[in-house]
Amino acid sequence: MLALLDAWFIAPFDYGFMRRAVVGGLALSLAAPTLGVFLVLRGMSLIGDAMAHAILPGVALGFLLAGFSLPVMSIGGVMFGVMVALLAGAVSKMGGQREDAAMASFFIISLAAGVMLISIGGSSVDLTHVLFGSILAINSTALLLIAGMSTLIVLTLAVIFRALVVECLDPLFLRGQSRRSGWVHSVFLGLLVLNLTAGFQTLGTLMAVGLMMLPATSARFWSKRLEGLIGIAVALAMIASTGGLLLSFHLDIPSGPSIILLAGSGYLLSALFGRYHSLAARWRRRTAPLPAEPST
Amino acid sequence: MSQRSLSRLQLHNLHLAQGHRTVLEHVEGDFQPGAITALIGANGAGKSTLIQAIMGELRPMSGKVVCTVPKERRAWLPQQLALDLTFPMSVEELVMTGSWPSHGALKGYCAAHYRKGREIMARLGISHLAHRPLGELSGGQRQRALIGRTLMQEAELLLLDEPFANVDSETVDILIRILRQMADDGATLILVLHDMDHLRRLADEVLMLNGGHGRWVSPSALTHQHAPAEVVPFTLGGRHAGTA
Repeated sequence: MLALLDAWFIAPFDYGFMRRAVVGGLALSLAAPTLGVFLVLRGMSLIGDAMAHAILPGVALGFLLAGFSLPVMSIGGVMFGVMVALLAGAVSKMGGQREDAAMASFFIISLAAGVMLISIGGSSVDLTHVLFGSILAINSTALLLIAGMSTLIVLTLAVIFRALVVECLDPLFLRGQSRRSGWVHSVFLGLLVLNLTAGFQTLGTLMAVGLMMLPATSARFWSKRLEGLIGIAVALAMIASTGGLLLSFHLDIPSGPSIILLAGSGYLLSALFGRYHSLAARWRRRTAPLPAEPST
Repeated sequence: MSQRSLSRLQLHNLHLAQGHRTVLEHVEGDFQPGAITALIGANGAGKSTLIQAIMGELRPMSGKVVCTVPKERRAWLPQQLALDLTFPMSVEELVMTGSWPSHGALKGYCAAHYRKGREIMARLGISHLAHRPLGELSGGQRQRALIGRTLMQEAELLLLDEPFANVDSETVDILIRILRQMADDGATLILVLHDMDHLRRLADEVLMLNGGHGRWVSPSALTHQHAPAEVVPFTLGGRHAGTA
């Protein structure tokens, strides 16, 4: 029994790349779900997905220029993500189209461009790595980069927390309070791009958004308080990223999908058995009034 | 009330349009500290348009709005709230967000702020709801919490769009008392009202919007038995706020 536990949970960490991957995953799990909670609360759940596509051409360009170098790929990713966000904002300001329509257009263009760039310069294995992640590629530089980005995100979120809350709750009030209220939204989008870039190494560009959204959407079934939502989402993300890495190691599957599928099962379980709004909660509420039989 | 020269808000020959459609023309106005002005008019007369212009959300076609109140001391409670009621936030936290102007975006709250927040909730009779999520409040409780936020904000210019719609009569009484007190403390209030009873109880002055023009009338002329004939449609035509 102990030997089995050791083989499954301890032995994999004899490998340096697994240790680095799990630390990277834990660092991401601090930053990503917190952003996800705000995305869910702002009704922008799909924006993260769209943004994930937007960073791909930048990542691909970095890959073409410098090979599998995380810093170069990350810089490319952040630059492209920010550029697409700005472009989408500009197009929607020109009028006629809402921001989500403009974003949807730019993101699918970005995805196609990114896939094409990688196909030109690399093999289909490279494409799989960029799209779905590879834990083998995480070296010390990559780990430092991921940890640094996550730290920056968490600290920035702490600083702008109250402004962000007011913006989610009542944008009109925020607009009344300061002329430059737009910065909250811009900083938030910037953090989003940064986080997706930090996540693509382990999770892949297409999967990075999963660690952001799934823990956040799951947490909605467990808490009604903002602090609770964030705490639960972070905990779920940590479990999913560590468990997913182990699965990926043992079953020899890409790390991104296995982490995200684990987070996804967490979501399904939450939807079934969570405290609030889940199937079980609904069933409990329906059956609760019945036992109230008057005692004689 | 005595400082008539120091008006907080002036409207000079204001011409407002939504798109290319002129909504209001030649609107003049002078709003003093301590005055409660009722804004009345049938649906579509331009009440919301005028409020948007006062809040700086709508650029006038011509004429101007002169407002000496800094932006962070203006409060606007529209009828269609942008407030997200599914957001996990309690009444106390909502009231506390009003401390933004004095406190900025980044600093945390201190004990004095919490004390002030609790005093405000006590004045509004919502102390027992302090930790209740916003989504679980009744219309009246929510309105009190929002007024609590403007008190926290120490608003000097307050624009309320039908503040008594869908609220219970107890809330109406409390709000009328609090709003009067805010005016006595020097705030300038502009309220969109439909109910003649509320107007009689609260308004010092009345700006009536009709046919694209604004006309100042005295509340007594409106509420008097022998009201001018053209005034009557407003008492009947507008949507009456439920006070029951």
